[in-house]
Amino acid sequence: MRTAAPNTLAGKFYDGQVPVAVPATLIWSGQNVKVIGAMIALDYPVNRLRVSPRVGTADRFVALPGGAQLQCADSALLDRLPQEGKTEGVVAWLESRWQVALACLVITLGGLAAGYFYGLPAAADRIAARVPIEYEHALGNQALTWLDANEWFRQSKVAPDVQEELRAGFARLADGLPMAAHLRLEFRDAPGIGPNAFALPGGTIVITDQMIDLSESAAEVYAVLAHEIGHVERRHALRHILQDSVSAAAAATLTADASTLTLAVSGLPVLLAQARYSRQFETEADEYGFTLLKQHDLSPEDFATLMERVSAKRDPQTERSMSFLSTHPVTADRIARAREAAQQP
Amino acid sequence: MSATPQPSSPPVATAVPRVMSGRPADEPAGPREMPLQFTGSAAEYFRIWIVNVCLTLLTLGIFSAWAKVRKKRYFYSHTRLDGTPFQYLGQPIPILKGRIIAAMLLGLWYAGTHYVVQLLPVVGVLGFVLAPWVLVRSAAFNARYSAYRNITFEFKGAYWSAFKMLYGWAVITLVTFGLGFSWWQQRIKQYMVTHFSYGGVRGEFGATGRQFLRTYFIAGLLMALGGAAVGMMIGAAAWSNRGQAAAQTHFLAFTVGIYAMYVAVFAYTRARIGNLVWNHTQLGPLKFQSRLTARSLLALYLTNLLAIAASLGLLIPWAVIRTHKYRAARFSVMAEGEISDFAGRGATSVQAAGAEVGELFDFDMSI
Repeated sequence: MRTAAPNTLAGKFYDGQVPVAVPATLIWSGQNVKVIGAMIALDYPVNRLRVSPRVGTADRFVALPGGAQLQCADSALLDRLPQEGKTEGVVAWLESRWQVALACLVITLGGLAAGYFYGLPAAADRIAARVPIEYEHALGNQALTWLDANEWFRQSKVAPDVQEELRAGFARLADGLPMAAHLRLEFRDAPGIGPNAFALPGGTIVITDQMIDLSESAAEVYAVLAHEIGHVERRHALRHILQDSVSAAAAATLTADASTLTLAVSGLPVLLAQARYSRQFETEADEYGFTLLKQHDLSPEDFATLMERVSAKRDPQTERSMSFLSTHPVTADRIARAREAAQQP
Repeated sequence: MSATPQPSSPPVATAVPRVMSGRPADEPAGPREMPLQFTGSAAEYFRIWIVNVCLTLLTLGIFSAWAKVRKKRYFYSHTRLDGTPFQYLGQPIPILKGRIIAAMLLGLWYAGTHYVVQLLPVVGVLGFVLAPWVLVRSAAFNARYSAYRNITFEFKGAYWSAFKMLYGWAVITLVTFGLGFSWWQQRIKQYMVTHFSYGGVRGEFGATGRQFLRTYFIAGLLMALGGAAVGMMIGAAAWSNRGQAAAQTHFLAFTVGIYAMYVAVFAYTRARIGNLVWNHTQLGPLKFQSRLTARSLLALYLTNLLAIAASLGLLIPWAVIRTHKYRAARFSVMAEGEISDFAGRGATSVQAAGAEVGELFDFDMSI
């Protein structure tokens, strides 16, 4: 609907000295522009004018030489005058079309999905492969120091000869692996945490006394340690940090408009998105562990039996219905996968 | 035509005293109510929003500075007072520079609170030192790049005065176990209003700490009652329906209950404090009237929240527009007498860094 642009525009004149609106008319004559109103008669060369960018259907402002200004409804005539900024005109054009909005919607949703499911994990994986694990040492040491200092961890009560035996087994598992030089085993008593094991950044693996008490053989302990070695070998600590930070930053940027209740708007989705990443890392570490166990003539079956004992302490019903929030895969599924791995040659 | 054309010379013809509407000066000049109009629409803003979100995503965040300018321009130019829209004058490049500084600080804070505990003291000291700077500079930036009728606003706060105001009363609040909180908040709002000016006229502020206390006392009471109610309901449910499976339902009910109460108290203080501040603010011959109600603000927040969640975020533009509409509809300016004492002056430039730090950390000091 291109119609010929008018030569005149009715608007309001502001002199920049007092906040008073004076009705005025802009008359365009190709080279010059006249602004006429009550007690106003001005004449300017066209090239000294600056028009503010178009924003939806709102009024626009024409900056006049000497600090005065004319406010008027949007018009095709304004496009013939010099613009304040070049780039914004393009964005304004994009914003005015529903087809573009629809295309942007598709690109945004597609981009977010591709970034979340593929791009971000792949990028984190590549970056982690290039960053030496030494950079994580400080982080891991600090975490361990903090856990020790804040009574989460106490000195282990596991007998020295048992510790010795398990360390030897751990060394056999680690032998020849790319991260072997960084893998270190620590024993800690953790009544507040219960049966568990952790792979800290930098390669330190902590196993709780409660986990050792719950196991019925050294092979079961090795099954857990193989899983934790998987976290270290696959650089999950760093990948976790990268994926969590980027997803949090992206969510904060995209929902910035609804910031009055930011937490409710972006908090839960981010939590769910990060929990899914975490479950993927657990599954990856499980699979790594099963392969490692079989290489050492141990069976993933030991992992299954120990996990069964761990989960007997929890309520399976609760676990399954809340699984979307959990940072670990559903235990029953992990046990089934371990048994499946044990069956395979 | 009453004057001879004077090409390219700044006009001085309008120095005749006139009431803001341009009404002839001989009419009786009683207080005149000027409503605030918001003319934006959700459909129009949706397009602007999605285009800018998409470009921000494709440029890995760099475009967000341009997006901010577009959004600001949209809301300013669709907000009209007495027939004249507001004007946003901020430019993307300074905003981008400010955002880079702000993003680095945010990264430092995120690392400190999530991964590297040793960083926390550094972050704490930095936050302590920077907070007054952020407060002053973000107000200055927002004022300087906002204009009405071709005259920009101005904020003239200085670092030390902001420092003393912010921390002096914070210490008093601490040693009085929170009793001083209302007075602290009152001082902050007073500082913001009285350092703010338009056309050379400074804001005046008349609300007292005691009036703030009334609102915060009721908010505290609501919080205590709400907390007790949620606790009792969950306790009763747990008693009648013991067992492991019920534990998670109780946990969910608890979370939802606490959150609903938080939103209610938030809406209440937002409405009451907003009204209190505006209704006791004066700018030369102008007085303001804000008539927000806690109930409608709460209804607005809750429906926005549900709509945004159900639409996976696509209704964010709709929610933002209707919130603006409501706030504008409940706001008006009362003009008493003439406004010839407002006079525009040459504006100085203000850097965007402080404003962007304030924005990224949600350091919301707007009244």
